[in-house]
Amino acid sequence: MIEALQQIGFQDVRACHFFNSFAGTTKEGVARKYGVQGANFIAYKAA
Amino acid sequence: MSIACPVNLDRDKLRSEVRATYAKVAENPHGEFHFHRGPEYAARLLGYDLAELRSLPQTATAPFAGVGNPYMMDALPSGGTVVDIGSGAGMDCLLAARRVGPTGSVVGIDMTDAMLARARSGAVEANLPQVRFEKADMTGLPLDSGSVDVVVSNGVINLAPEKEAVFNELFRIVKPGGRLQFADIIVGTELSEEVRSNIDLWTG
Repeated sequence: MIEALQQIGFQDVRACHFFNSFAGTTKEGVARKYGVQGANFIAYKAA
Repeated sequence: MSIACPVNLDRDKLRSEVRATYAKVAENPHGEFHFHRGPEYAARLLGYDLAELRSLPQTATAPFAGVGNPYMMDALPSGGTVVDIGSGAGMDCLLAARRVGPTGSVVGIDMTDAMLARARSGAVEANLPQVRFEKADMTGLPLDSGSVDVVVSNGVINLAPEKEAVFNELFRIVKPGGRLQFADIIVGTELSEEVRSNIDLWTG
């Protein structure tokens, strides 16, 4: 994700926060197996 | 890490499945799905303010199915223009509308008619006329180039098979000095072709 945004031209691309978004769902095991989680991203377009 | 689209994935079928899944969520947000919905989830696992969510119409909050919290990052500019990609029933748009205030504008983009209907109803009920909703695909946004201060999104870009096209479109609409602040899923391991071709996993 970060690399893709940088390649488009966004700058200062960062993942800021992470979330266990699938905890307690029927896909929790799949999420854990593949390391799937929610994340916040921020990316800037140069002024 | 984002999920790269396998060569043999039927992209039209994927779009159709995504539309169908989220139409079901819009019609029955308390139904059986393999992802969480609603304001209690948003507060408990994603850090939203439950009191603020309870002050919004349930028509907007009950189908919420985001995976993070874009508002944990920078504050939205008062009077600014914000676009929510994949706005669903509009919960994040209503929050954005309160933050940009009456002189700002918020545009929610979604491709699911049932979600758009809920979102428009919620904006009227919340008395936030600075919000509007448009039906569009993420790769072809009905917005002028360089017209947007902040793009938000929550758990939607991962549903697009053409992520590079989506990011190019976002880069086009954002003003110089503007930004994206969005939430999405990340995958910590390299996925097999078989897993990446499983539409059921994509639509979740």
